[in-house]
Amino acid sequence: MPISIQVKNLRKTFDYFKKEPGLAGSFKSLFWREKLYNEALKGISFEIQEGELVGFLGPNGAGKTTTLKILSGILYPTGGEAVVIGHVPWKREPAYQKQFAIVMGQKNQLWWDLPAQESFTLNKEIYEIDTRVYKNNLDELIELFDIKELIDVPVRKLSMGQRMKCELAAALLHSPKVLFLDEPTIGLDIISQEKIRKYIEGYNRLKKTTVLLTSHYMRDVERLCKRVIVINNGVIIYDGLVEDLMNRYADYKTIRLRFSREYNENGLEKYGNVVERDGLNVVIKASKEDIAKHTAKILSEFPVEDLSVEDVEIEDVISKIFTG
Amino acid sequence: MELFTKSSAVRTFYEGVNILKTIRRYTGLYKAFLFQNLKEDMIYRSNFITLVVMDIAFVSISVVLFKIIFGHVNSIAGWTFHQSVILIGTVGIVREMAYLTFRRGFLELGNHIRTGTFDTFMVRPILPNIHLAFRHISLSESLGECIMGVILVVYGFMHLNTWSLLSIPLYVLFLINSLMVYYGFSLLINSIVFWVIKSQELNTIVYFFMETSRYPGDIFRGVGKILFTFIIPIGIIATAPASILTGRMGWKFAAISIIVGVSFLSTGLYVWKKSIEHYSSASG
Repeated sequence: MPISIQVKNLRKTFDYFKKEPGLAGSFKSLFWREKLYNEALKGISFEIQEGELVGFLGPNGAGKTTTLKILSGILYPTGGEAVVIGHVPWKREPAYQKQFAIVMGQKNQLWWDLPAQESFTLNKEIYEIDTRVYKNNLDELIELFDIKELIDVPVRKLSMGQRMKCELAAALLHSPKVLFLDEPTIGLDIISQEKIRKYIEGYNRLKKTTVLLTSHYMRDVERLCKRVIVINNGVIIYDGLVEDLMNRYADYKTIRLRFSREYNENGLEKYGNVVERDGLNVVIKASKEDIAKHTAKILSEFPVEDLSVEDVEIEDVISKIFTG
Repeated sequence: MELFTKSSAVRTFYEGVNILKTIRRYTGLYKAFLFQNLKEDMIYRSNFITLVVMDIAFVSISVVLFKIIFGHVNSIAGWTFHQSVILIGTVGIVREMAYLTFRRGFLELGNHIRTGTFDTFMVRPILPNIHLAFRHISLSESLGECIMGVILVVYGFMHLNTWSLLSIPLYVLFLINSLMVYYGFSLLINSIVFWVIKSQELNTIVYFFMETSRYPGDIFRGVGKILFTFIIPIGIIATAPASILTGRMGWKFAAISIIVGVSFLSTGLYVWKKSIEHYSSASG
């Protein structure tokens, strides 16, 4: 398989000015400002094959979005190299721009007051899509994302999940070879999240598009990707199979419990590690494998008032990678 | 030698074809974006009418002001009443031309940069400055002033007997030149936004720049004249095209105007291109 994205020792430093608090500080900063530097990327390297769906995982401010922005030509890097499908992204050549797409969960690229359909036809002009190809792609995307009823409604009237589907469709009309997704499930409810994941997966399987997806939800990556790159403080700390990562660092889930009355404190230990105990509230870390069996037992044996099972947080995984 | 000339001829030919293709592409894009913007405008129809009425009122006020001034004097810096009417009308026309192309895009630029939506303009296969301009084409913003402008120019023109056959095409040519000056100046001022993020104040500068251009360039003398011709070219925007219609245009002023137009546009585009590299996008 040919290489689609190649990144070598990529660095990005942002400079910004320190401002002291208050009006006096603002006034002072008019004349004298201290320049500060923030190293967002400290020399990262990786390669992605054509057709791969790779997850880019890390906490907020780790450098995920910065990497994506450099790879799509929005930002100039401070140093290092990157080649995406034979192009240096920050040269911003139209030949490259016509072959990739970026969708950002927090940014709206559709025309807010108009139906999504209008943005689609404009994209046809912008990307110079042949009319027949456009019709085919549009039909395919409407079918795949189930948006037939949505595209004639003004975008501002859509829910976040619906809008995301339209955003994705708009970005895929020109059949990009590479797709960057920046937090595509952010702010969505669980059901919409799952749907968006299903669509991304379906599209990747259908079109063999290379997808690089950032997220701070473990679930996104676990569900979608074979391979994951974990980044923290501008450094890649893991690059490998999702399965291995999960087995090694995220083989448990968190069970949060609230009891209605006094309970047998020792009985809980056999279902997992009790990490927190505060009166009637208890947090247990339990092995992922028999999570269903164990919760069922807890429910039958204890006076449970409330129970929730949560996925591992990325921050926990990262600290576990560091501590080994 | 023969081969060299042949290949360079072929190359010139292909470059010519490419330029034609680019022009065709951007004309097509302009049309698509214009329709898109009109659809958006029509959602707020009442706003549309208010704007037109307000514009007409504003221009009428400045005509009345001039009328009052000319009640006391026969000319301002050599410009008679009817000539001044053409000057005021020309400002309106240039302004509407700017709104039909780039002006509102610059007004929105600060927001795009602060919220990071400028990202979109960086990833599409269109030049970011053209995409920004086309994204915010506005027909209604200055339409009233334009209608008023055309009326004033025609009215003033009919009361003068200085016209020749060439007047009208030359007038259009110098209108385009003024638009180049205006665009170049806007690009220069707005390039600062990539360093300071807030742009509201910047466009106030551009606004006063246009406001002041309704006075004839001839009112400036000495240092002022140099300043307002070459550095802040308000002495050209309306004065140059209006000079054509009023028969006041000399070779020297015509040449200076064109030189200023071309150099403002090219410097503006260059500085803008360099400034974009400094775009740091909003995080998140």
